Amino acid sequence: MASPTVKAKRNALAAGGLLLLLAAIGLLVGRYPLTFQGLLAGDAMQRQVFFQLRLPRVGVGVIGGFALGVSGFAFQTVFRNPLASPDIVGVSSGASAGAAAGILFLGSSAAVTASAFLGALTAVAAALALSALDRSGKKSTIVLSGIAVHALAQTALMCLKLTADPERELASIEYWMMGSLSDISAHRLGGNLFLCLACSGILFALHRQMLLLSAEEGEARMLGVSVGKMRLVVLITATLAVSAVVSLTGLVSFVGLLAPHGARLLNRNNRPGTLLLSGILGGILLCGADILARSVTAGELPVSIFTSLLGAPALLYLVVGRRKEA
Amino acid sequence: MSILEVRQLTAGYGGKEVLQGVSFSLMPGELVGILGENGSGKTTLLKSICGIVPHGGSCLVGGTDSRSLSPRALARQVSYIPQQSGISIDLSALDVVLMGFNPRLGLLEYPSQDMKQQARRALREVGLAGREEENYQTLSQGQRQLCMLARTLVSQARLLLLDEPESALDFGGRYRMLSQLRRCLGGHCGALVTLHDPQLALNCCDRLLLLGGGKLLGEICPKQDSLESMEEKLIGLYGGLTLIRAENRQGLHQLVLLK
Repeated sequence: MASPTVKAKRNALAAGGLLLLLAAIGLLVGRYPLTFQGLLAGDAMQRQVFFQLRLPRVGVGVIGGFALGVSGFAFQTVFRNPLASPDIVGVSSGASAGAAAGILFLGSSAAVTASAFLGALTAVAAALALSALDRSGKKSTIVLSGIAVHALAQTALMCLKLTADPERELASIEYWMMGSLSDISAHRLGGNLFLCLACSGILFALHRQMLLLSAEEGEARMLGVSVGKMRLVVLITATLAVSAVVSLTGLVSFVGLLAPHGARLLNRNNRPGTLLLSGILGGILLCGADILARSVTAGELPVSIFTSLLGAPALLYLVVGRRKEA
Repeated sequence: MSILEVRQLTAGYGGKEVLQGVSFSLMPGELVGILGENGSGKTTLLKSICGIVPHGGSCLVGGTDSRSLSPRALARQVSYIPQQSGISIDLSALDVVLMGFNPRLGLLEYPSQDMKQQARRALREVGLAGREEENYQTLSQGQRQLCMLARTLVSQARLLLLDEPESALDFGGRYRMLSQLRRCLGGHCGALVTLHDPQLALNCCDRLLLLGGGKLLGEICPKQDSLESMEEKLIGLYGGLTLIRAENRQGLHQLVLLK
């Protein structure tokens, strides 16, 4: 039987290969099909589509998916809860409320991105500020604060939806909440991808600290961890990464939840290789879902439909398959 | 100089006082057991010394109040084994032991090859040879406790606080664990261990603290105190019992407790 390190390398290589393949397919597939020959021949239209639309879109699929996978791993480890996700501190609901406000009052897609990002950060800042009122620094306080902020953001979202024009604005809000990479273009990426990469890098660097945080609070403290501060750093970093992605793509369901589970089920540990695999699986899910979203029908479909459609059976297969193996 | 000096310690939860004015000290090389009924405050005492439970009075670790030390500085001096580890994710036994090196590692630093060798050696010493890559979650409760002991052994802390570290071990395992602990203390470390088995404590510890109703009821030094005096103190804690000195086939004397 292969050692855990060899197994992790093998899994990372296989998943990395699949991600590269999907990225290559994603660059060529779409409403305006591209060919290698056309690109190499210098076809102006093909080059413009490639650099302005396709490359940024695939970039968000790969890097954004990677960031969602890595962040999901961080949330689940720090909260010691396999169902933990960025929603636990109100990121998604804050981003949704922000995006809805952007759609209603600002209009342009760049403004919606900025507004969603701001909404996500506001929600997290509110959750952390509320939790700071309880000086015990308990994890349960952060979760409860997150639930309170989530409820408040949902209320704000409902109020905004009530005032929205049902034909246009309400549809846009609903569509945003189902996630799509169709609006991605080179000039809209801004610092988002950089933020995703930087936050993922920080989470990799803090991987060992994250594992220590997975122990009981007292136990982690007696292992030399400043539990409150370290948890805050990890959560803020993971949240920033998620905010950077969802403000570009809208809500993308399941990636942050499934990718870490898949990686753990494949590697059977929580070592750095598993964190890497979690990121790669996140990229595979988002890229794969985006390819399907733009090629299954003549129009664009929301990406969350496919992340769930691809993710749920894959997770079931892994869980059932591994149980049989055991 | 004592490794640990506890003075007038008071602690509790939600306004209810569990410990009331507990004072004692621990010298280098000493293995001290804490005996007491359920709810007498044994775990609270260890948690208070660690600073996990807020407390009044003072706990001086190496002459410094534990409250004034950062978690990192405290962990360099004190290693704590809780009754049950809260680790709930998939980690190998080796990864769990390597956690013990954290106080000596930089924030972003990973354990060196030498540390990994030390961790493997510690696992061998506690009887978990060949289980380094086994998932901690799939180990038996007793094996987990041995894994925790290995983590404590590699920490190089001077003060070891162990909360019922042998509760899930078999008869032989309990005695092995405590003799292993004694070996690793040498002359410069000290250990404070909560135990439920008074006979094990009498035969393995240098000194016993008897805790009842949150107060220190007395102390026993098994090698110095008379049989009658020890019996009287134990009766005060557990009710009617008889303490006798017996000799095994190898001619070794042991204290035996009869109910």
